[in-house]
Amino acid sequence: MNNCFGCNTCKSADKPLEEFIANLPMETSHHRVESQSTKCNFGLQGVCCRLCSNGPCRITPDAPRGICGANADTIVTRNFLRAVAAGSGCYIHVVENTALNLKNTALVKGKIKGERALERLCSIFGITSGDLYEKAEKVADAVLSDLYKPEYVKMELVEKLSYKPRFDKWKELGILPGGAKSEVFKGVVKCSTNLNSDPVDMLIDCLRLGISTGLYGLVLTNLLNDVLLGEPELRTAPVGLRVIDPDYINIMITGHQHSMFVDLQERLIQPDAVAKAKAAGAKGFKLVGCTCVGQDLQLRGSHYKEVFNGHAGNNYTSEAILATGAIDAVLSEFNCTLPGIEPICEELKIKQICLDSVAKKANAEIMEFDFAKREQQSNEIIDKIVGAYILRRGKINVDFSNADKEWKPLIDMLVGAYNSIHQDVNLNLMPEHGNDHTLTGVSEVSLKEFLGGKWKPLIDLIVAGDIKGIAGVVGCSNLTAGGHDVLSVELTKELIAKDILVLTAGCSSGGIENCGLMTPEAAKLAGPKLRAVCEKLGIPPVLNFGPCLAIGRLEIVATEIAEELGVDLPQLPLVLSAAQWLEEQALADGAYGLALGLPLHLGLPPFITGSKVAVKVLTEDMKQLTGGQVIINPDAKESADILEKIIMEKRSALNI
Amino acid sequence: MKRIMIDYMKCDGCKNCTAACMQAHREEQGTIYDLDLTDPKNESRNHILSDGRGGYRPIFCRHCDLPECVMSCMSGALSKDSVTGVVSYDVNKCGSCFMCVMNCPYGVLKPDTLTRTKVIKCDFCMEKGGEPSCVKNCPKKAIWVEEVQA
Repeated sequence: MNNCFGCNTCKSADKPLEEFIANLPMETSHHRVESQSTKCNFGLQGVCCRLCSNGPCRITPDAPRGICGANADTIVTRNFLRAVAAGSGCYIHVVENTALNLKNTALVKGKIKGERALERLCSIFGITSGDLYEKAEKVADAVLSDLYKPEYVKMELVEKLSYKPRFDKWKELGILPGGAKSEVFKGVVKCSTNLNSDPVDMLIDCLRLGISTGLYGLVLTNLLNDVLLGEPELRTAPVGLRVIDPDYINIMITGHQHSMFVDLQERLIQPDAVAKAKAAGAKGFKLVGCTCVGQDLQLRGSHYKEVFNGHAGNNYTSEAILATGAIDAVLSEFNCTLPGIEPICEELKIKQICLDSVAKKANAEIMEFDFAKREQQSNEIIDKIVGAYILRRGKINVDFSNADKEWKPLIDMLVGAYNSIHQDVNLNLMPEHGNDHTLTGVSEVSLKEFLGGKWKPLIDLIVAGDIKGIAGVVGCSNLTAGGHDVLSVELTKELIAKDILVLTAGCSSGGIENCGLMTPEAAKLAGPKLRAVCEKLGIPPVLNFGPCLAIGRLEIVATEIAEELGVDLPQLPLVLSAAQWLEEQALADGAYGLALGLPLHLGLPPFITGSKVAVKVLTEDMKQLTGGQVIINPDAKESADILEKIIMEKRSALNI
Repeated sequence: MKRIMIDYMKCDGCKNCTAACMQAHREEQGTIYDLDLTDPKNESRNHILSDGRGGYRPIFCRHCDLPECVMSCMSGALSKDSVTGVVSYDVNKCGSCFMCVMNCPYGVLKPDTLTRTKVIKCDFCMEKGGEPSCVKNCPKKAIWVEEVQA
């Protein structure tokens, strides 16, 4: 296509994608970066307060306090706590629904795909009696009862899920969380107008929210999904826009609540459903992965080979995926479903169905997931999507050969007339985009199995210096910080070149995999030592753990390694980077990383720099509190140097 | 020569121009994220005033054709460049008499808050390439640069 819509799209680390988007005849978020490039400088520093009708108040030399008297420290930390509480709430919503789905599945004796994962949870929770379904119900109930506790009652699973030295530290600091939902409530109350004004008190609440978010929203959501959806298995899979097969009815899924798709996935491959697709002129149905729910299906893809065609891209690739014209429907159930997809769906007649009202899109049909009605809902969804396909790309392909002779000519004429006036939506595919052999299915379990059932081989490589350390490059993708995935990809390249093994989870991994860093050939981009390790094992220097929820898996890996070494987490040569963090959820993740005592790099500051107290606590004092620290740097090379230095300091402290 | 033009009807009073001016003239280098918004050393050369009726009055230096500030400056600290039209200020020549402050018809010029020994004066960001930071940072395009006849 030559009719460039804007010609001012932002950069992407993924050059073919950048070109594709620049040539689209429609607007995407990549086109809007330029027109939003003037940022509010007070907002960037977090010193714009809109909590009451006296505001917005902003801090300047002439006005160092808001009308109420709040100074920059109070304004910044109030805003920050608000964001962390909201982010935590999002993750807790996901784990709540996941636990409810597990409980309901157990009650109807539905399919439990991950029996070993269930046993693992039972052993952590101390559940010993009951059959498979009773155990699953007890596990779900244990999670739910903790989530629903009041804020003044501590959650019971925290101790069982956490590493002892960490738990003791949290207890000592007084940051053990009460009921996770109530913690969100308390956080929101605390930062309302003219309540708390103590910046340190509010930052400590952020840590408490970080713990409940991390252990429940991250770690447990993964483990519960393992029970319902099956455990990840190592395999290679195609990624990028190439996974879209125009011969099929393609359904793009966006969000984070994988367990809502269990029934639909099964239905889509049953003969009667496939027959409906065939009647409309397609070969069947395919799910196209997008955002984290796509990452998770990719992770567990060995269980869904027939229906899942691969992961196409992250949140800021979703508009491009739709713009190919070959997606017939979008099923959304949680965040990272950009409002920007709405006009594209409208233009290309793509059916939007929303399965959870928290993520209701303006022009989507709402069909709130109801476990009791899941089969009926799956059928309805299939019919609606087939209808969309016929409108978009279908020819009438029904066999009328047995029709009444008298009616046959009329039927033929009508079908012929329809087919002659029907105009297919234009396809603008990109079959070469991405690659076909990205390593996926990496989890704390599958990786350990790959290493022979123990972490020792990895630890030996670290001790020997063949792997200098581990960096988790996690979290979102955004369009700032250099452009789409630019900082995440550049930082990852810098880190592996320094012989630092990179583990990823979240939308960052969607960008990094489309740029080819998770194929075994990427070993040549690694430093000589890491390259040799990768080539010997046939693995890439970047291991993809899947969705952002799987940040919890990375932290299990870290904990198990620390346990094997007999050290606490902050002592490990391990760093985290949420280089292109985007949302409030990422801030809640980050708070978990800090509670675990890990160094956390961010490419852009989380709107806190207007407060000297917040900056000092997060970047310096935290080292004494939990061992963690925030590092802010938008430059890939400088950031990699800083992270390498931290890894080297931790190595020498461990005498390795 | 160039001049900053203002459409006060478009101004939302966001003060982004103010923060941008502070950032452009700070002593220590850094990004907008670490600009100390509470430090009086980081003074803005422009001001946004309320008109008392829900609107705003962005006050920017006009770099006047016949600058009252220059004409009233006895020490020669203020001068108008005949080529660029920019009215510039030399702190080393300033006698701190503040005649310029009294004579500016727009009320733009002011003594610095901390020491009251120098004048806070728009320099059209000449050191930053002559594209004023305030203009670059106005989200409403209420201020812009225009070529005017001398």
